[in-house]
Amino acid sequence: MSTTAEQVPSEVPATDPAALLAPAPVGSGLDRRTVLRGLGLAVVVLVVGLFVPDVISDPTNMGIATDGVVLGILALSIGFLAHRSGLISLGHTAFYGASAYGLAIATTSWDWSPMQAIVFAVLGGTVLGLVIGAFVVRTPGVSFLVLTLAIGQALHQLVVQDSVRETTGAYDGLAVTWGADDKVAGIAQADIGNAATFWPLAWVSLVVVLVVLWLVGRSRFGRVLEAIRENEERARFSGFNTYVPRLIAFTLSSAIASLAGALFALKASFVSPDTLSFVTAGDSLIAAIVGGFATLVGPLVGGVVYIYAQSELSDSGNLQLFTGIALVVAVVFLRGGIVGAVTDGGRKLRTIVQTRKGAGR
Amino acid sequence: MDLAQLLNGLAYGALLMILSSGLAMIYGLRGVMNFAHGALYMLGAYLAYEVTQRTSFWAALVLAPLLLAAVGAALELGVFRRLQHRSHIEVGLVMFGAALIIERTIVLIWGDDTLPVKAPSALDGTANVLGTDYPAYRLLIIGVAAVMAVALVLWLKRSRTGLHIRAASHDTETAKILGIDVDRVSLVVVALGAALAGLAGVLAAPYFSVQPGMGQSILIMVLIVVVAGGVGSIGGAMVAALALGLIQTAGNVWIPSVAVLVPYLVAIAVLLWRPSGLAGKRVA
Amino acid sequence: MSTALQATGVTLRYGAVTAVSDVDISVAPGILHGVIGPNGAGKSSFMDALSGRRKLSAGTVKLGGQDITRRSVTWRRRNGMARSFQKTSVFGAMTVRTQLDMVARKTGEDDLDGIVDALSLRPYLDEVCSSIAYGHQRRVDIAMALLGRPTVVLLDEPGAGLSVEESAQMFDHIRALCTDRDVAVVLVEHDVEGVFRVCDEITVLNLGAVLASGTPAEVRAHPDVIEAYLGSEA
Repeated sequence: MSTTAEQVPSEVPATDPAALLAPAPVGSGLDRRTVLRGLGLAVVVLVVGLFVPDVISDPTNMGIATDGVVLGILALSIGFLAHRSGLISLGHTAFYGASAYGLAIATTSWDWSPMQAIVFAVLGGTVLGLVIGAFVVRTPGVSFLVLTLAIGQALHQLVVQDSVRETTGAYDGLAVTWGADDKVAGIAQADIGNAATFWPLAWVSLVVVLVVLWLVGRSRFGRVLEAIRENEERARFSGFNTYVPRLIAFTLSSAIASLAGALFALKASFVSPDTLSFVTAGDSLIAAIVGGFATLVGPLVGGVVYIYAQSELSDSGNLQLFTGIALVVAVVFLRGGIVGAVTDGGRKLRTIVQTRKGAGR
Repeated sequence: MDLAQLLNGLAYGALLMILSSGLAMIYGLRGVMNFAHGALYMLGAYLAYEVTQRTSFWAALVLAPLLLAAVGAALELGVFRRLQHRSHIEVGLVMFGAALIIERTIVLIWGDDTLPVKAPSALDGTANVLGTDYPAYRLLIIGVAAVMAVALVLWLKRSRTGLHIRAASHDTETAKILGIDVDRVSLVVVALGAALAGLAGVLAAPYFSVQPGMGQSILIMVLIVVVAGGVGSIGGAMVAALALGLIQTAGNVWIPSVAVLVPYLVAIAVLLWRPSGLAGKRVA
Repeated sequence: MSTALQATGVTLRYGAVTAVSDVDISVAPGILHGVIGPNGAGKSSFMDALSGRRKLSAGTVKLGGQDITRRSVTWRRRNGMARSFQKTSVFGAMTVRTQLDMVARKTGEDDLDGIVDALSLRPYLDEVCSSIAYGHQRRVDIAMALLGRPTVVLLDEPGAGLSVEESAQMFDHIRALCTDRDVAVVLVEHDVEGVFRVCDEITVLNLGAVLASGTPAEVRAHPDVIEAYLGSEA
C-alpha cells in the first residue's frame, strides 16, 4: 500500500484502487510521518516536564502534582479500557493493589532491590490481569462491572485476613523498605518521599504510558477494538476474532494500573488495604470519567483534579460530596468530561471567530 | 451449624432479599443498575434512628419507607425519566454519584458516630424456636421479609399494575404500543423499590450498627445478589439473597478464616458459569 | 453442477416452537436464490441457522462441500460465508471509509473500489456511518458482506425499510454483483415481486417448512404457492 499521507479521494484515478481507500482519516492506522511527529512531541513534552519541580517550588503543590500523576496513570488505565472496549471496570484496584503489595513484599520481606521489585510488581499485576481478563472480558455490560467489583473486593478481603497478617500486615498494611545502598532511578529510600525527587520517575512513566496509549489508539488494532465496541456481532460476522483483542486491551490496561500501583507504593513507602478498597476503585473510575476518557489526557486531568480536591477538602471531609457532584455533572452535562468540554469549547470558539472573520470580509 | 446460626443466616438473607427485590425491579424496568440503593438503605436506617428517638420504632417502620418512596419518586422524575434516552451505564453512574452525595449529606446531618437504635421493647427478649432461645427481633426481620416477598409476587402476578410492570419489563416498546403508560409504571416501581430499601434500612437499624459505611458495604452484597440471581429477575434475586445469607453464615461456622471471601467467590463462580446470572432476564 | 452452499434438514427449535423444519437448500456459484414466505414463515430464523448465528437443532450446512455446521461465525467469514442483516448492522461511529477499509484488509479484498461503485457509496465515504440515510447504511452493510470475495453471501431482507425505487435499485445491484463476482447468493426477502424479477431460483417457506422450490416460473405456477401465499398476500 502507498505511504502517502495526503489524500483527496475525488482526484485519485479509479485505476489505483488501493490508494483510494488506504489512508482513512480516522483511526487510520499509522503512517511513519504521524508516528514520528507524535514521538517528537512526546520527547519535547518529556523534557519540558522534567523541569516542573523548578517551576513549582511549593512542596505541597509538588506533592499534588506527583500524586496526581500517579492516580492519573491509574485513571488512564481504566479510561483506556472504557473508551476502547466499552468495558467499565470497578475492579482495577485488583491490579493496582496487587502490584503495590507485590512491591512491598518483594522489597521488605524478600530484600529485593527496588528495581527488581518494580519489574516483579508490574509483571505480577499484568499476569493477574491476563488471567482474570481471560474469564471476564466475555461478560457483558453491567455484569462486567459487578464482576470486576467482586474480584477487587475479594482481593481486599483476602489481604485484611488475620491469617495472612504475616505477609500483608492485614489492616495495618506494610511498610516498603529497601537496602540503604540501593537506589531506584537514582533515588535512595530516604529521599523517595520528596515529591520533587520522585517527580522524574512519575513523569517518565506517564509519558511512556501516554505514548503507548496513543499508538494503540491510532493503530489498526485500536480500530478493531473500536469496531468490536461498536458492534461486536458485526465484527464477528466480518471475520474478526472479538475475544483476543479485548483480552489484549484488558491486559494492557491492567499492566498500566500495575505500574500506577508500583509507583504509589514506592512514593508512599507504605501499602495499606486502601489501595484495594471500593472507594479507590470508585474514585479512580470517577477521575477517568470526570476528566473525560474519550480524550488521551482526560483521565490524567481527572486524576490531578481529584488529588487537588482531596488536599483541599480533606479537612472538611466533604471530598465524597464533591466527588459525587462532579460525577453527576460530568455525566449529565459535560459529556466528554473536563477535557472533552474544553476541546469542544475551543472548537466552537474557533468556528465563531472564523465566521466573524468571514462576515467581516 | 445450629438453629440459631441458621436463623442468623436467614435474617441477613431476608434483609438482602428486601433490598435486592427492589433493585431487581428497577433494573428490570429501566435497565439501570441503581448504585444508590445502598445509600437509600442507609437513609432508611438514619430515619429510623430519628423517628425512634421522637416517637417509636413502629412509627419508623411505617414512616421511613413512606419517606423513601418520596425520595424514589424524586429520583424517577429527576434522573430516570429525564435520562431515559441515555445509555444505561451512564444513568447507573449518575446514581453512583447520587449515592455519594446522599451518603455524605446523611453524615453532615447526623454525624460520623455510630448511632444506637433500640429494638421495640416487645421484641427485646428472646423467643423459643423449636427449643432454641433466639432474639425475637430477628424473627421480625424474617417475618417481614417473608410477608413482603409473598405480597410482592402476588401483586406482580395478580394485579393490573403488576401485569403492566411485567409487560413493561419484558419489552418496553411493545408495552408502550399496547397503551401501557411506562413512565407511570416506572414511577410506581422506583418509588416502591426505594421504599423497600428504606424498609430494609429500618429493619437493619436495631440489628446492625447505624453508621456511615453501612450503605456501601451492603450495596456490594446486593449488587452481587442481583447480578448472580439474573439481572432483572425478582425471583432470582430473592433466591440468590437467601442463598447468600445462608452461605455466608455457613462459611462463618465452618471456615471462619476465609468466610468473608465466600460471597465473592460464589458470585464470581456463578457469573463465570452463567454470565447472565442464574435466572436470565425475567420478572417474578 | 458444483454447489457453493448445501444445507440439508435444517431445523431450528426455540423451546416448544419449531421455527424452521427440515429445510434443504443448494446454491451454485453465480446463482441468486430467493427465499420468500409470509410473516412468521421462518425466513429470518433460516438465515440465522445458515449463517451460524443460531445453533441448529438438526441438519447440516456445507460450504463448498465442507461440513461447517459447528464452525463459528468468525471462521465462516474467513472461509467464504458472509451475511448482511435485516436490522442494518454497521459500525455506527466509524466513517464508511474506515469500516470498509478495515473489513477489506481483514478479508483480503482486492477491488474495494469496485464494490464501493457498484453500491454507489462513493459520495458517503467520509461520512460517519450512523449519520447517513438508512438506505445508504443498508448498502454499507451489504458491501461489508461482499468484501473479500466470499463464495456464499446471505442477504437478510436487503429491501426492508427502503422506498420502492431504492428497493428496486438494490435488487439490480445484487443481481449484478452476484453474476459479476460469481458468488452464490441467498436472498431472504419480503418483497415477492422483486425476488421474482431478479432471482434464478426461489424457495418458498411457510410455517418453517418448504412449500415449493424451483425456478421463478415453476414456483409461480405451483398451486400451493398461489393458494397459500400469493393468493392471500399479493
